[in-house]
Amino acid sequence: MKKTFLSLCLAILSGAALPAQPSFTAPPPSKAVVPGADTRREAYDQRIDEALAWRSGLVNLAKPTTLDPAAIAAKLVRHEDVAACSARVIELMKEGGSGPFWMFPSVCLAYTGRDSLSAEARAAIREAWRTNMQLRGDTENHWAMYYTSLYLMSELYPNDPAESWYTGKSSAESLAESREYLIHWMDLMTTVGQGEFNPTGYITEYAIPMLYLATWAHDPEMRMRGRMTLDWLFADLAANTLNGVLRGPHARTTENPVMERWNDQASFYSWLLFGNTPPPASYAGFGLYFAVAAKNYQLPEVIYRIAVDRGPDYVQRDLKRSRRRWRYSDVLMAPIYKTSYMRRDYAVGSFQGGRADPIQTHVWDVSWTVADPRGAHSTLFSVHPYSSPEDMQTSFTAYPEPMIPNLASEGKPSYDAPDKILGASPYEQVFQDLDTIVALYDIPPGTRHPHVNAFLSRDLVDRTEDPSGWIFARGGNAYLAYRPLAGYTLAPFQGYKQQPSKAGYKWERIATGDTLLQSPHLKNGSIVQAASVSEFPSFAAFKAAILALPLEFRLEPVPTVKLKTLRGKNVVVTYGQTPVVDGYPVDYTKWKLFEGPYLNAEKGSRCLTITHGHLKRVLDFNHLSITDSVTP
Amino acid sequence: MTSLRFPLLLLGLLAGAASAAPSHDLYICAAVNKGYVIGSKIVTVNGLFRRGAAGEWQHLGYNDTSVRAVDFDPRNRAVIFTAANNGCWRSLDGGQHWRITTSWDMTEPLDVTIDPHAPDTVYLALPDGIAVSPDRGQTWPRRENGLPERGKYTQVVEVDRTQAGRVLAGCESGIYLTTNGAESWTRVLPTDTTVDDIKQSPHDPRLWLAVTQSNGAWISRDGGLSWKQLAGVPSAHALYNVAFDPLHPSRLAIGSWTLGVLTSEDGGETWTARNAGIPDPHKVWRIAVDPDSGSLYASVVGEALYSSEDFGRTWKRGGLEASTVNAFLFLPVSTP
Repeated sequence: MKKTFLSLCLAILSGAALPAQPSFTAPPPSKAVVPGADTRREAYDQRIDEALAWRSGLVNLAKPTTLDPAAIAAKLVRHEDVAACSARVIELMKEGGSGPFWMFPSVCLAYTGRDSLSAEARAAIREAWRTNMQLRGDTENHWAMYYTSLYLMSELYPNDPAESWYTGKSSAESLAESREYLIHWMDLMTTVGQGEFNPTGYITEYAIPMLYLATWAHDPEMRMRGRMTLDWLFADLAANTLNGVLRGPHARTTENPVMERWNDQASFYSWLLFGNTPPPASYAGFGLYFAVAAKNYQLPEVIYRIAVDRGPDYVQRDLKRSRRRWRYSDVLMAPIYKTSYMRRDYAVGSFQGGRADPIQTHVWDVSWTVADPRGAHSTLFSVHPYSSPEDMQTSFTAYPEPMIPNLASEGKPSYDAPDKILGASPYEQVFQDLDTIVALYDIPPGTRHPHVNAFLSRDLVDRTEDPSGWIFARGGNAYLAYRPLAGYTLAPFQGYKQQPSKAGYKWERIATGDTLLQSPHLKNGSIVQAASVSEFPSFAAFKAAILALPLEFRLEPVPTVKLKTLRGKNVVVTYGQTPVVDGYPVDYTKWKLFEGPYLNAEKGSRCLTITHGHLKRVLDFNHLSITDSVTP
Repeated sequence: MTSLRFPLLLLGLLAGAASAAPSHDLYICAAVNKGYVIGSKIVTVNGLFRRGAAGEWQHLGYNDTSVRAVDFDPRNRAVIFTAANNGCWRSLDGGQHWRITTSWDMTEPLDVTIDPHAPDTVYLALPDGIAVSPDRGQTWPRRENGLPERGKYTQVVEVDRTQAGRVLAGCESGIYLTTNGAESWTRVLPTDTTVDDIKQSPHDPRLWLAVTQSNGAWISRDGGLSWKQLAGVPSAHALYNVAFDPLHPSRLAIGSWTLGVLTSEDGGETWTARNAGIPDPHKVWRIAVDPDSGSLYASVVGEALYSSEDFGRTWKRGGLEASTVNAFLFLPVSTP
């Protein structure tokens, strides 16, 4: 679907001039809080209209291929060219898709066009759901899209017999199965945490189905569940953004947004909902499918305030879970202990290391605020570039050998690259306390890619390699100190640029201007400390403060760091052992589902309390209730 | 997964009549779509195919890139079960209409097998265990008593054709045997990693072969109760599947991504790599022996179906361009 959209844009680029994407090309939006609910709503509606107008404007009716499902949906919502849309739907439905990325657009057309598309067009959609088998996929986002789509189509045609659906199940059977899965998934999310947590791109693959459920489900319970899940997802998004840019860690992200933090789907939602960052190009492509129904969603003020009206610095600790592990693991899903420390000038985020997902995890980073996030590489982190087909077998029902060659053609080009900066490793252990990160590596001999990579952004200024072993730099208004624990080399970093292709994905390696630090030592580690520029009279003063802090480390027999942080904590981190802070071991068993100034939930509670100032909203999945209150 | 699920009643005749009309229909489960990922357009036909009289491939059912295994009800060839991404599909009318018989709680089954002596009973290998339908796929209760809570990823289920309810399952932690229709399982061979395939000899029902991901190949001469490693088969690389030659009891073959095709012509005592004419890297996904012609087939991932008329000494590219065959199934044409 992403490829299809890219191809469409390239096709259009080769022809007539593109209509403007005002918010994408304009200066960054104001960060000022919009206090009035009506004003906020008006601005929200205007942003929706902007996206839909742009998408509709791309269409050249003389070139039917420019009228894809997103464009048809935009036009239907705008009450434009309905006859052309009907004709095009009939054409499109002759080629049914092969899974959830076809299912939700077709559901979108079925519902947005149920009162306007011709009877023949509506029948064509319905017929495609009989004749074309849809793969359910193998990830949580696939299943969210698949079962929401199946649910909504089953509700739209409630009494149809089994033989009229590709599943061979009646509407009632599919409705029951879909409902049961969606409730099961929501139950997992609200008790032991999200699986594909804090996603830069995949957020859209949850937001769209949940919006559709909230908008179009006939059953009021499922409508309510959709609405509550949207609030849950967007509250999490709000608390993990800084000026609208989502911060790490991430269960899954991709090669480019791990560098250019802003450039992924999450920024479309920040732009649309919070209005505090520009949208990605083309409104992130998929964003259009959210936009067509977005006027049916009202962002609660309490979530809006969390995103845009920040008070003091804060720590948010969340419990998440790993991807399902079919084999070679003692657990089906491992707990993920996620920490985010958010300040005005920068954010530090991490989880404890190990793997959340076998391919695309981003474990930790420091990312700083910039006036305009577009094109900015405002991040610093290190990784062990772990690559193991046997390890991937834990989560995939596949043989080991084909996995690596297949990944590049499936849109994950860097998985086996020794210079990759994306992915988690079982040989990485991470500890975070406020704006201190200690990442330790104990890589067994014989491991593929036996070294540590660190990403040093082109946007760092005043980068200096101090004789002490620290690397100092400034990123935006953040001072950064990075301490590799073993020797290293520096080289230009090569990123990935997607190329047009008719079969699978194609990529070109391109210099990004960033620097790759590589440390070829199996026993290894990284320490990062950060501070705001405003906290020190000068960069030299910051360096002096870091150098004055007690630091001891050794790498044998296992990496161990003992240090005093910039914030005065005495920390001992030893690979394979529980970190100790001021003499007390970190107790992960007490980790709550959410704990912080804005989001709080007990593990297993199915109940999230969202607060900001005097505002409070409680999402209670036990009673399917939303309770708003304003404290005096 | 390559299967000879039914007794080869005409075996003796076949041995001397390779050029006669085929006595078996060949069904395959194949993906014929390089580079397909969830969401991309399927541009070719995939799924279940039957080889026609002229050697052409006739497609049955949905265009599904994910079909891993197939089995047929021995009482009625029109009743078909497949294992695919969405679950276990069933057709009651020879592939005209299909139903996903499993629900959301069973995904990506890897193998499906009908008990020929209790054909209402269907076994399903799942990434998280084993389910057994007692009623032709109407219901799918889990049957995992004796399997470990972790370690029950199941790649293959193979029914002993001599006894109802006697089944061997290849799991991530070894081979498990049930003699009571999966009411309980007993581990008969521990392994470090997944057992990728298990087959019963068409010549001697007590003789079984198994191949694994990292523990080599194994032979049992007592119906799967005890196993001995085949010394001549390397264990450094994953072995994907194994096949008996229905025409020659001493001939065995193994398929492997890295090693290609290994054959033995002395009942497994010695093994030889037979890859002349197969691309390098070999990427052999499945192998099978045609019970009529004796042809040895090898599916090379994304390339084609290769065939050999001299048990692997030479190979020729034999159609199904760009395909990956997940399963071969030969059925006697005499079956209704």
